[in-house]
Amino acid sequence: MLNIKNLEAKVDNKHILNGLNLDIKPGEVHAIMGPNGSGKSTLANILSGKNGYKTKGEIKFDGQNLSELSTEERAQKGIFLAFQYPLEIPGVNTNVFLRTSLNSIRKARGEKEIDTLSFLKLVKEKSSELGIDEKFLSRQLNVGFSGGEKKKNEILQMKILQPKLAILDETDSGLDIDALRIVADGVNSYKNKDNAFLIITHYQRLLDYIKPDFIHVLSKGKIVKTGNAELGIELEKTGYTNFI
Amino acid sequence: MKNFYNFKVNNIKGLSAQEKEFRNKELDLFSKNGFPNRREEAWKFTDLNTILSKNFANIKNDYISLNEKKFELIKEFDHNYLFVLDGNLVSNEFKFEDKNKVLIKDYDYKNQISASNQNSLNLLNNALATGGYYLEISKDYKFKKPLVVYNHFSESIKEQIISYKNSLILNENSELTIFNYTDTNSKNNFFVNSFDYLKLKKDSNLKNIFLNKERCNCYFHSYLKNDLEQNTNLDNYILSTGLKFNKTDIEINLNEEHAKSSIFSALSLGSEEHQEIKTSINHNFKNCQSYQKIKNVLNDQSTGVYQGKIFVKQEAQKTDAYQLSKALLLNDNAEFDAKPELEIYADDVKCSHGSTSGSIDLNSIHYLKSRGIPEKEAYQMLINGFLSEILEKLPENDLKRFLIKKIGRQINGY
Repeated sequence: MLNIKNLEAKVDNKHILNGLNLDIKPGEVHAIMGPNGSGKSTLANILSGKNGYKTKGEIKFDGQNLSELSTEERAQKGIFLAFQYPLEIPGVNTNVFLRTSLNSIRKARGEKEIDTLSFLKLVKEKSSELGIDEKFLSRQLNVGFSGGEKKKNEILQMKILQPKLAILDETDSGLDIDALRIVADGVNSYKNKDNAFLIITHYQRLLDYIKPDFIHVLSKGKIVKTGNAELGIELEKTGYTNFI
Repeated sequence: MKNFYNFKVNNIKGLSAQEKEFRNKELDLFSKNGFPNRREEAWKFTDLNTILSKNFANIKNDYISLNEKKFELIKEFDHNYLFVLDGNLVSNEFKFEDKNKVLIKDYDYKNQISASNQNSLNLLNNALATGGYYLEISKDYKFKKPLVVYNHFSESIKEQIISYKNSLILNENSELTIFNYTDTNSKNNFFVNSFDYLKLKKDSNLKNIFLNKERCNCYFHSYLKNDLEQNTNLDNYILSTGLKFNKTDIEINLNEEHAKSSIFSALSLGSEEHQEIKTSINHNFKNCQSYQKIKNVLNDQSTGVYQGKIFVKQEAQKTDAYQLSKALLLNDNAEFDAKPELEIYADDVKCSHGSTSGSIDLNSIHYLKSRGIPEKEAYQMLINGFLSEILEKLPENDLKRFLIKKIGRQINGY
């Protein structure tokens, strides 16, 4: 599904990624761990199509060269990034945003726009699964939401937009234990053999709930170690010093 | 230098000798300095003399309004209406109201009320105004539906000044929402110079909304003088996008206790449009409140100006006054000028002001795009969101939905 070959990235002439390789197949859950400044969020941003990075190397998504696609086209093709810091958008109603987003993706795929009734039903169902009060959805997007509410809102968007590849950038940071469990349940219930996850995290605790197939250690812009779920437990004990 | 205007009181028919004398005196006072330029503090950011001289060859005041053009009513919500053509009250309908509670007639120029500060455009208005309406709402009467004032201008007006005065009196404990809807799409250049007097008597409540229907090549200056008595509430919503030039000069006098006023504005300007909102909020009595929030979205080479003055008299203790202006600049050639002014003589007051301007947040654009929303739509969503906050305080109804839709349409030109 996602094939990254020898990816390099620079910001203002500073090298952040230095030849990163990663292959993700449908049905897999990958976790990327690594110390601060190792390039985790840069990888997520580049995959989402954020401007400001000079890149070399190749990223293919379902066989298509990602660099040819704009941010919105990537989303329309099924890439979803749950932001580390979801943005507050004043004056934009959450429900209107969700619907515009879903319809943009449907339109791009040549599908019909969703009607009001079906949309409301869908949102109601998905938000209740995540324990999101419906009142939130009539509020301005992320404005005045707590950290946890923002993160839950990201997962809600994921469940409504149904991406093929979901990238979770430190979705666990700022979550209390209950919220962490709800978010993890949200991910687990969405997971199936056709979609895949790339989870970026600092801590093992999220991986206690979402079991990864692979854990990669990122250091100085490169994957320096790949292992299974056991690797996370080991990292928790020993830290990153053995790998960097 | 050749003058780009030629105004004559004699062009106005049916004036008494006394009226003529008054008007000629006012015209002489105007002519001393002519149209204001940026050397005058009140026109610091809006050099009207230069703007008009660039866009007009010879402005006259001899247009005779003829065609009683048919007009289209808004279908989206029930309303009463006044139809005003070229400043003249042509017809009215109050089918949702008790007609005995509404007095509507032509403006009576025998009792002209002038603005308290005699700026030159008000002098010019005194000299040349004709037409306009006088509207009075009876004591204790609350309007069931909004009143739409259709302000239409004939397409044949060209190189003309149109001047008129209106007056609106809300008697004790009455209530009204008035929607001033300027619907002209004239390609010709003309200048409108209007003066509105509003009086809110004790316990009355007025929402005064201004919106333009289309883009047009018109130059507007309107002066709104508002006198507020005890326990009154006045909310202004200025959404007059689309005019080539517009300066709305609002004077609000909070004359008795617990008078409350607000000014909300959402403007989206493009091409070389120039719009200014100038306010003078006079806290003349204790325990009054005023609130101003002005939002501009500026594209191309447009200019937005906000000059907001809060004046607090010595006896106006416990004043609560607030003003904030925010501008979103979409183009390096667009300009926003803000000048807050506080003049406070009382010592127990709460007054605050602020002004920000900036460009659109690209991280927010990226966020919306990452959800599949195309770039153009993402921009529109942010702009719309920025402006729609202004309408938040309006009650949820068809009028509000109509306004939101109109604002959206104006932005979609982006």
